[in-house]
Amino acid sequence: MSNDAFGFSIDMTVRNEWRNVDLLRTSVQNCFTAVFADVDGCHAIAMVTGELLENALKYGDWVSGDRAMFRLRVHGQLNQVVEVSVQNPLKADDANGNTLVKAIEWINSFPKPEAAYRARMLQIAQNDEDESPSRLGLVRIAFEGNCRLAAKIVDGHVTVTAALDLSSSAAG
Amino acid sequence: MHNLQSGDLTIEVAEAPDGVMRCTWKGKSNERNPPEILKPWFEKLLASVGEKQGSIEMHFEKIEHFNSSTITALIRLIQICRKTNVKLVMVYDQSLKWQRLSFDALRVFEKNDDLFHLRFA
Ligand SMILES: Nc1ncnc2c1ncn2[C@@H]1O[C@H](COP(=O)(O)OP(=O)(O)O)[C@@H](O)[C@H]1O
Ligand SMILES: [Mg+2]
Repeated sequence: MSNDAFGFSIDMTVRNEWRNVDLLRTSVQNCFTAVFADVDGCHAIAMVTGELLENALKYGDWVSGDRAMFRLRVHGQLNQVVEVSVQNPLKADDANGNTLVKAIEWINSFPKPEAAYRARMLQIAQNDEDESPSRLGLVRIAFEGNCRLAAKIVDGHVTVTAALDLSSSAAG
Repeated sequence: MHNLQSGDLTIEVAEAPDGVMRCTWKGKSNERNPPEILKPWFEKLLASVGEKQGSIEMHFEKIEHFNSSTITALIRLIQICRKTNVKLVMVYDQSLKWQRLSFDALRVFEKNDDLFHLRFA
């Protein structure tokens, strides 16, 4: 067994309770700290975990079920590719699915996630009324986490995946 | 002015003799809807600072984590401070990459009016 090719993964269900977001976020942070020396990278993976789980709990259909699926994979040579996915049920005809897909397309339409993040912040500042949701989470994942985002909707379930390449260091 | 204590988040307030309200964020801001908690507290803070014609210094060096909805609340704070002519400084830890990225991005709100500044410790 070669160390270089030895990735790891976490697959679990998460109960729909808000405090579980932070429990899992800190667990992921601790787990990665045990594996990698890169403190900043560990914080980024934990942040991505937190933002994705928040969304699953906020926008999932928690009438038909009470669990989200959390999946994290580390692979690639020297374990530098990290993929975090969260799956949640979606209500039939729920506009959030469409909003999500559009949000990701919008982010990916920028040459760099930093530009998307900046644009979103300026939009928030321009909208005077307190709009909730703020729609800063996904773009933060892309920018601060240096992630590529993707979403898939199949059979009433949405899966959002953030892929992070630890080898290409993010802005800054 | 009282400290804010809500869930995992604490904001400690200390008033300096020069009228600077020094607010130190500790713990984590991970509530489902942080603006719900932060907004009323910010309003009280602004009222208190306004009375004394002071200014605000927000210190984030000790905070472990905040979610994206907290950032929205910070953008709102920057706006309301500027609108009411209250000087606001945000201080962060430049050695932490996540803080550097989050706060450097807020520089889009710095203008030549001296009302909002970012500073690293
Ligand atoms: N897991 C999800 N299931 C359904 N809709 C989602 C999910 N994640 C995101 N969305 C949609 O995408 C939007 C943007 O998400 P995000 O950028 O995290 O901002 P926010 O959480 O502040 O709404 C959400 O408002 C929601 O409509
Ligand atoms: Mg979100």
